Amino acid sequence: MLEIKNLHAGIDGKEILKGLDLTIKAGELHAIMGRNGSGKSTLANIITGRENYEVTSGTVKFNGNNILDMSPENRALEGIFMSFQYPVVIPGVNNTYFLRAALNSKLKHNELKEVNAADFMRLIREKLKLVEMDEKYLSRAVNDGFSGGEKKKNEILQMLTLEPQLSILDETDSGLDIDALRIIAQGVNNFRNSERSFLAITHYQRLLDHMKPDFIHVLIDGKIVKSGGMSLAQELEEKGYSWLEA
Amino acid sequence: MKQFQKEFNALLEYWPDEDREFRELRLKAFDQFKKIGFPTKKWEEWQFTDFSLIKNSDFHLSWDSDIPTIPKNIPGRIQDTYLILIVNGHYQPQLSDIPDEVSVVKRKEHFKKNPELYSIESSSNPFLSLNTSMMNSGLPIYIKENAIIKRPLQIIYLTTNLSAKLMNHPRFSCQIGENAEATIIEHYTGSTSSPYFTNAVSSINLEKNSRLNHIRIQEEDLNSNHTAFTSYTLDNQSQLEATYISSGSLLFRHNVKLILKNKGANATVNGLSLTKTNQHHDQHIIVDHASDSCQSDQLFKYILSDRSSGVFNGKVIVREKTKQTNANQSNKNLLLSPNALMNANPQLEIYADDVKCSHGSTTGQIDSEALFYLRSRGISQQRAMELIVSGFAKDIIDYIKNTDIKSYISEYVFNWLEGSMKNV
Repeated sequence: MLEIKNLHAGIDGKEILKGLDLTIKAGELHAIMGRNGSGKSTLANIITGRENYEVTSGTVKFNGNNILDMSPENRALEGIFMSFQYPVVIPGVNNTYFLRAALNSKLKHNELKEVNAADFMRLIREKLKLVEMDEKYLSRAVNDGFSGGEKKKNEILQMLTLEPQLSILDETDSGLDIDALRIIAQGVNNFRNSERSFLAITHYQRLLDHMKPDFIHVLIDGKIVKSGGMSLAQELEEKGYSWLEA
Repeated sequence: MKQFQKEFNALLEYWPDEDREFRELRLKAFDQFKKIGFPTKKWEEWQFTDFSLIKNSDFHLSWDSDIPTIPKNIPGRIQDTYLILIVNGHYQPQLSDIPDEVSVVKRKEHFKKNPELYSIESSSNPFLSLNTSMMNSGLPIYIKENAIIKRPLQIIYLTTNLSAKLMNHPRFSCQIGENAEATIIEHYTGSTSSPYFTNAVSSINLEKNSRLNHIRIQEEDLNSNHTAFTSYTLDNQSQLEATYISSGSLLFRHNVKLILKNKGANATVNGLSLTKTNQHHDQHIIVDHASDSCQSDQLFKYILSDRSSGVFNGKVIVREKTKQTNANQSNKNLLLSPNALMNANPQLEIYADDVKCSHGSTTGQIDSEALFYLRSRGISQQRAMELIVSGFAKDIIDYIKNTDIKSYISEYVFNWLEGSMKNV
């Protein structure tokens, strides 16, 4: 599904990713761990198409297609989603209206019938229950006045609504209390199936305890230096990253 | 100036048997206008606006021959409202629909009863003097005490089908009687291929415990120039909610003076200005807290595209020895083009201690983080920008409580955005 080969990329002339290789197949959940500044968020930004990042060499293919020249909206329409580390507040834009606009954009792209306001309300109320969110968040502006936890739940709500093939969870666990973490992990776990893939970026083992990734990769200085299973996360928790650094 | 003198002389000739005192007022006002002259870049309060378009153009006053055939569908008509219709400066009583609780007063009588409302002595605003010397349309109205008028009163100033460059100096005077409640829309609209000049003055008095919703819509033709002066005086416990929506005119200058004259008066003044091409919108607001326990809230937003420019100058004055003042002023501006320009200057003048005040101004572009966020959900760049910009304008629109007015303005703002965002 996602195939990254020898990716070199950076921002403002500074190289951050220095030859990264990563393949994620359908149904797999991969986790990337690493210190601050190791390039985790850069990788997420490059896959989703954020402006100002430069790819100097390498390829990123999604379902066999090179996505590096695609606009962020087209990548999303093809099935890539990112749960933001810092969800953005958009004053004056109603959360429900936004969610429906996003869903209809996708339905239209897939040549399906767009959903009307009443049907959408039924749909979104169902999804809302899955992330234990209060209905009041639907009538607010996007992320406006949401607590840290509600913002992250709102990200997962969007994922459940848009049903992407590849979901990138960029530090979705940061700033969450134990309950919110459990709800979000449950939301993701229930959403997993043999067609859907995930890339979770995190500092901590606790999210991974809930999600049980198939693979864990350690990113140091723009390269994956070690890959393994759940035992690797445990080892990192005990020993830190220094034993892997050159 | 020659042209204005010529037109002024013609006006005096046109109404030879006008009331003596009223004529003296005109003459005095025109003298004052000549003495003050048009604003120059050296005048601090006027420095960002170039009035040479008005000064050097040969506008003439509107005579009876300038009444066109009135269009069947009056542009800008808002559903379920009373109507006062003024076309090219001429009141159309046969098409107007005025509720019983509103009395329309003759200008002369109004002047005799309220000479202070026509006083220009303390003003250095040349456009007020010019209006006073040439006022030729607009009505004085009085809303009876205790009257609660549910349906809004829409006053349409329509400029259409001109054969030559026209100028009008509408004067609207409005007194809201004690305990009365009303919604008044002052709506300036135009569609004509000929340039024109509207120089409006509105003076609005809220008596004790009265409530007014004042909506001012300025959607003049882009060929036009619009200068305006609006003054409010608020008595005890009276409440004003004013909203200005302005998208018209190549040059727009609006001076607002609001006096919270007696205890417990409360005013909210919001404005949304939408500019494109090389339009220039300049608004100067003075809110004067002259008594105790008064509250004022201002929110002015500008959305500027292309090479357009805006000026916001807001001043809150809190007078000496007043108590329990609450005053907020906020100005937010969104530039849709690198060539658009905004000049903002919020000011506070506080001469008392017992005051809660806040003020601030921000000018920025579309938030690139918000744009990426929306696009990352599959929403096109164009649509994402429309969402963000209409979100920016939303709180101003939401403040309008009457649903017919609100839906007219929502649609109007939406159409403006759709038309202007294509070039961004």
